Amino acid sequence: MDFIQDGFIQAFALLIKLDPATYSAISATLRASSLAMAASLILGLPLGYILGYFDFRLKNQIRIIVDTLLSLPTVFIGLVIYALLTRNGPLGEMGLLFTIPGIAIGQVILSLPIIIALTATAVEAADRNLRITLMSLGANRRQIAVSTLWEVRLGILAAAVTATGRVLTEVGISLMVGGNIKWHTRTITTSIALETSKGEFGLGIALGLVLLLIALVVNFTLSGLRRRI
Amino acid sequence: MYHIQDVDHYYGEKHVLAIEDISIPEASIIGLIGPNGSGKSTLLKLLGFIEEPSYGSILFKGQKVVPYSSEIRFKVTLLTQEPYLLQRTVFENIAYGLKIRGDTKELNKRVEEALALVGLAPESFARRRWSDLSGGEAQRVALAARLVLKPEVLLLDEPTASVDADSARLIRDASLTAREEWGATILVATHDWQWLFETCDSVRHLLHGRLFRGGLGCAVPGPWKFSKEGFLQKELEDGQCLIAPTPLEGKQVAILDPARLRVALPGKVPLLKWNINSLKGYVSRLFLEKNGEIVQTAIKVAELVVAIRLERKQVELLKLYPGREVIILYDSDKMEWL
Repeated sequence: MDFIQDGFIQAFALLIKLDPATYSAISATLRASSLAMAASLILGLPLGYILGYFDFRLKNQIRIIVDTLLSLPTVFIGLVIYALLTRNGPLGEMGLLFTIPGIAIGQVILSLPIIIALTATAVEAADRNLRITLMSLGANRRQIAVSTLWEVRLGILAAAVTATGRVLTEVGISLMVGGNIKWHTRTITTSIALETSKGEFGLGIALGLVLLLIALVVNFTLSGLRRRI
Repeated sequence: MYHIQDVDHYYGEKHVLAIEDISIPEASIIGLIGPNGSGKSTLLKLLGFIEEPSYGSILFKGQKVVPYSSEIRFKVTLLTQEPYLLQRTVFENIAYGLKIRGDTKELNKRVEEALALVGLAPESFARRRWSDLSGGEAQRVALAARLVLKPEVLLLDEPTASVDADSARLIRDASLTAREEWGATILVATHDWQWLFETCDSVRHLLHGRLFRGGLGCAVPGPWKFSKEGFLQKELEDGQCLIAPTPLEGKQVAILDPARLRVALPGKVPLLKWNINSLKGYVSRLFLEKNGEIVQTAIKVAELVVAIRLERKQVELLKLYPGREVIILYDSDKMEWL
């Protein structure tokens, strides 16, 4: 059981001593997840709004598909994205395999259904008088969309927190699409997998605690944001 | 201001509104009354261009317009029965409409004026959050958010239904300012007799989606049964029977037209013709209309409330007062079916 205690000690040592390999993994993790979350929010908010706000043919079927995609296994996403980005794949010429943007693409597939589904749920749950009120005050369609999303901002924040947690902690996509290349695409989760396979449980736990610390900082920031809005 | 022609509106299969032809003059105040589900809110949504009628057309200033069109977006505003306040401060709620118009000149001053108009002190309310308001305050803030826009048409759906008497008076006074100051046309759906008979230029009665020009009257739903004598009748809760002519197929609701009703005192009922029937009830409410000549008289007959417009002299002659027992005389051959 000593390795758990060692893990805590090592975690602080890695952070305090500014261990370059650890900070490289933190940087790769944050870069990939930030890119993925930015793309997911830009794409997911309007799509979630459309799915939640409008009634159209096949809406229920689309909703079922989006909900199903919430259960996508990360290794499966990693496999599909790998197949697309590999040299012989349809997107091979883009040279995105074993890069941070490549990992981010996979993570978008992971987080986009979360943003769409939870945004749609928040919009659907909005007061039925909201649309009438906005129309009555003279809002056009674009202004109604923006104002509705702002009214359900706490639901959207919850979606962002959930998706960020999933993206930060996934390992399958980072490992398969990123290739776990030291100083380049090695993220915290792939480092944990590697160190554990080498029998370095203490270091694995230390990196896990670092990841948890990052998640704490992210959630602390979002919680502050929730109180302010 | 409006001309409604052959409008039929459906929610799915349900036919909720059928209005043949009606005009609403500019700068008038029109009251709408009718039971829940009679189509008042639907009519206001159509007039507010929140929804488009399934069939027929609504002309606004002689033009056919559609929701979101620039002809109406900044001219017509609707205050719903349960107003939604945006999850922002009171100031931001009132300023919203002006901001989306890009009309932010003297914003603070105009918001403060709107708040004062609905009887809320700007210094203590402007920075409050939407969640820190009582029901009456929220209703007044919602009204202020519309009045600040100086709309040409103000549509009010039960604006005083769930507020106290003071808030109701403030809401009524503030709404009237819209007509006095900038000549707004006001349509108000309400059960508040003070609104209807003291403030409105005319009152329209909505029943089952149809508009009646005459007073309040009374709709009598089924079940209708044939008596042993062969009359179609409805037995009221106190055992009295209301007799009606045989309806057209599918009709279930009989209308007691107030223009065809007479009121008499017990023991002083004139000799009845064979087709004149009577019902016993008591006066539940008297309300003098703003012209000072007509008294709205509500008479409770078992579970029904029949509203009749009586001349003031007649009320004095019959010595009517709330609680007084009266007889309503009606011609069973001339009842209509809905």
